[in-house]
Amino acid sequence: MAYVCPPGEDKRKPPPSIPPLNAAVDVRRDIVHAQMKPFTNEPILELRRGPIRAQLAGALAEHDKRPALHVPVWIGDDQREGADIVSTDPGRPERVVAEAAAAAKDEVDAALRAARPWTAPAEERAQVLVRAAQWLRERRLEVAALEVRECAKPWPEADADVCEAIDFLEYYARGAVDLAQGAPLLQVPGERNEMTYAPRGVVAVISPWNFPVAIALGMTAAALATGNAAILKPAEQSPGCAFVLTRALREAGVPPSALALLPGEGEVGAALVRDPRVHTIAFTGSNKVGLDIVRAAAEVPPGQKHLKRVIAEMGGKNCVIVDSDADLDEVVPALVKSAFLYAGQKCSAAARVLCHEAIHDALVERLAGAIEVLEVGQADDLEIDVPPVIEEDAQQRVARYAAEAQSGGRIAARARSVPDGSGWFAAPTLAADLPTDSPVLSDEIFGPLLAVERVRDVDDACDRVDASPFALTGGLFARNPDTVDRVIERSPVGNLYVNRAITGAMVARQPFGGNRLSGTGTKAGGPGYLLQFVEPHVVTENTMRHGLVV
Amino acid sequence: MTRGGIFPDMVDERALEEELGEIGRRLAAAMPVTRNPLKAIDEKAMDLASQDAELKAALFRFVDVVPACRSLEDLARHLTGFLGEVEQPTAPIGVAMKMGNTRAGRAALGAASAAGVRRMAHRFIVGEDPKAALGVLRDLWKDGVASSVDLLGEATVTAAEAQRYADRCANALDTIVAAAARWPERPQLERDSAGPLPRANLSVKVSALTPLLRPDAPERGKRDAADRLRPLLRRANELGAHLHIDMESMDSRDAVLELILDLLSEDEFRSGPSAGMVLQAYLRDSPQTLDTILEWLGRVERAHPLTVRLVKGAYWDHEIVEARQHGWDAPVFEVKADCDLNFEHLTRRLLDARPAVRVAVASHNLRSVSHAIAYNRLSGGQDGDLELQVLRGLGDPLQTALARQDLRVRTYCPVGDLVAGMAYLVRRLLENTSNESFLHEQARGAALDELLARPVASTPA
Repeated sequence: MAYVCPPGEDKRKPPPSIPPLNAAVDVRRDIVHAQMKPFTNEPILELRRGPIRAQLAGALAEHDKRPALHVPVWIGDDQREGADIVSTDPGRPERVVAEAAAAAKDEVDAALRAARPWTAPAEERAQVLVRAAQWLRERRLEVAALEVRECAKPWPEADADVCEAIDFLEYYARGAVDLAQGAPLLQVPGERNEMTYAPRGVVAVISPWNFPVAIALGMTAAALATGNAAILKPAEQSPGCAFVLTRALREAGVPPSALALLPGEGEVGAALVRDPRVHTIAFTGSNKVGLDIVRAAAEVPPGQKHLKRVIAEMGGKNCVIVDSDADLDEVVPALVKSAFLYAGQKCSAAARVLCHEAIHDALVERLAGAIEVLEVGQADDLEIDVPPVIEEDAQQRVARYAAEAQSGGRIAARARSVPDGSGWFAAPTLAADLPTDSPVLSDEIFGPLLAVERVRDVDDACDRVDASPFALTGGLFARNPDTVDRVIERSPVGNLYVNRAITGAMVARQPFGGNRLSGTGTKAGGPGYLLQFVEPHVVTENTMRHGLVV
Repeated sequence: MTRGGIFPDMVDERALEEELGEIGRRLAAAMPVTRNPLKAIDEKAMDLASQDAELKAALFRFVDVVPACRSLEDLARHLTGFLGEVEQPTAPIGVAMKMGNTRAGRAALGAASAAGVRRMAHRFIVGEDPKAALGVLRDLWKDGVASSVDLLGEATVTAAEAQRYADRCANALDTIVAAAARWPERPQLERDSAGPLPRANLSVKVSALTPLLRPDAPERGKRDAADRLRPLLRRANELGAHLHIDMESMDSRDAVLELILDLLSEDEFRSGPSAGMVLQAYLRDSPQTLDTILEWLGRVERAHPLTVRLVKGAYWDHEIVEARQHGWDAPVFEVKADCDLNFEHLTRRLLDARPAVRVAVASHNLRSVSHAIAYNRLSGGQDGDLELQVLRGLGDPLQTALARQDLRVRTYCPVGDLVAGMAYLVRRLLENTSNESFLHEQARGAALDELLARPVASTPA
């Protein structure tokens, strides 16, 4: 992983009389690298095999036997329990999954007072993160079962989330060791130039519930890998998952002063964002909160001696362009997956299909038929396609936009099998023939509602994508290479997927993050992400003394 | 154990190799002196494609997109788009690219390439629908070749599509049975020592019978497919036709296997129809699958023996790619010789399991086919109790040779329109231009002894 080295830079070798700058460090890196195999993604469970599926029920039964999790405010070695926040199973809201203490003002202050950068060498930090990955690996089904219950993540999605968390740990561990080498600079006789990276200080991590372990752990791991202190404020919907990942890090050896857990509602995050002792804010969540953070972070209160940096991953309104030569056999399943897996509650999920008019009607007919047979149900049931949405508000929001679609255009399809009962179920819905100014086409709904639009051609589709303030993910189904090139050229999105589903980004394979109002353009799970958590220092030393190079 | 290592010491291996070589040489001599089937597909294109991976990719992507193109102009733009990605263009590519520069050139190029693809498709696909296929089926029959019809179609993503496919299957059964009644007698194709063999034979795909096949939840797809497969079994039973259920990728393997065994155990289907399934020798766990099948046969009494078509498997690239992308162990053998050896191993176990099974060995590999015939003979079986199967368009010379040797051969005959046929066609082309393909070896002129040599396992058994 070359973090900062521009292409070709390494060809400019220093003159042979001067020893390579990083010789000593290189040896150390080689030792660590010898212990760390090259990065590979943690394999997801092969659930197509019966014996592997059979393990899931057991893991869930184990989970259900245990009482609700008690999630503390965890600062240093102090844990204070409470029941200010209660997380419940979205499929059966009467089932309590976790009870969490909400951090009070003085606890936010205490966490900030206790926070100390993690000064161990990069190699040591990396080892700890790799140990945390192992901790998760050993409890893989247990953690996934918690996600199934707390966030209604269906098994395959929950498992993938734990795998992604492991990937972030392994990937950033390696990245931190590389980053500790510094950046190669041009060397000339008589001077020694060195560029190194120092941690920025305290990182406030504000994480969402939809990838309750992976995203929270990814941001936290990046902060820790680079030597910062991290204070994690998880989404109030998923404190249980946040507690587990904090345990993973702490039990693997992250010093108590380097990591605090502050469960709470929005005001805990707001307090962190405004505090002059915070240097970096790593946020993933809604656009509205993200913009508030960017604004608040721009303030420099008295006593603050630094500019805060914000790493924000926000919403999207992701479009999939379907050209007339697309193979609908491929398009339909890919759209169903992109729009309805995890009930569309992924920032990468498909929200709009921009379909060439020549095949628009055929696509709508086949897509409608595929959506009608989707089965909505409990997340723990492998036979369902779509789990409930996270909470009642979300259910109502989806219903509101579906009504809007019905009045402004038409509902082309709705899943037939939706359970009654207390869960926050929402029927997967396909909307069509909407007016171009419909809010269904512009607002992020974050639920199982997909809109299809008729476009004249691919350029018309590109114009519509370009008109959107969002630019997170996008998709294209087209088989003419010239068309593919043209759309790639015009696409503003952070992650464009060609002839495949648009969700499921993998660490190191699809570094993930959006542009425009969708985010700050940083790429989680990609080269360069760790640079957001450090500040560069350049030292130039004169090595010429009385005409001698010393 | 014998020198072979994995086979029980029932048949003398040296005698088997001698018999096998004899059979192979006779079959090779009985093959009609026509162009090699691969070359015949399209003289230059396939030859070139076999040598040049980029050109192969360009041509296959083109063939794949033909049905989705809206005009000759559109077709030509796609062709030049694909060819433009070949890094070292040959002279014919240069000509095509030049034609793509003008409107008239594009129309001509589009027309020429469309005709080329149609010609290729017609070698593999016997007709647009069952009725249109009847002439070919009858001619095959007259030449001593039985058939199994496979209805090509788009992927099934809706319930309506699943039902349409089931209806097409039912109609195909009616059409073929009615026509087959008028075919002349061919005793060798109509009876083996277990009893009569239906003339009409239809292969169906479970993935086309339901939109609900999910690798992670096989029960749901099974339930839904069963609702459409039962009426087809019923119809086949009433008509006295054979219904064969194909295997597809590993994602649906367990669902299909369980579905077949479950349905055929139902009381209603104990008396019929004649039915069959597929065993894929490229799967590492295919010996365990055969255990399951044999255990089932020992438990379930049916009027007809279960036909098992032994194939190597048509989704090798798919399985490898899927496994690599997910970090899984590949479910398939990665070395061709290991797959070939397993094929022989399974051939013997199947032949030894008669009369509860009818064995259909489906391969274009002269060694694999000769091995089955030789083992059958040396273990005391009748030639008439072994069926050999080939694919229309690829196995034509072998089909003729087998028929000439009075062996029972059945040709798998895809039926469907160009749109539906394209995915099938591309898979066949990919398979048979791969450098390890038997037909490719044959086409490059490998010595007969080499083609008939015993496969050597990649690791000692």
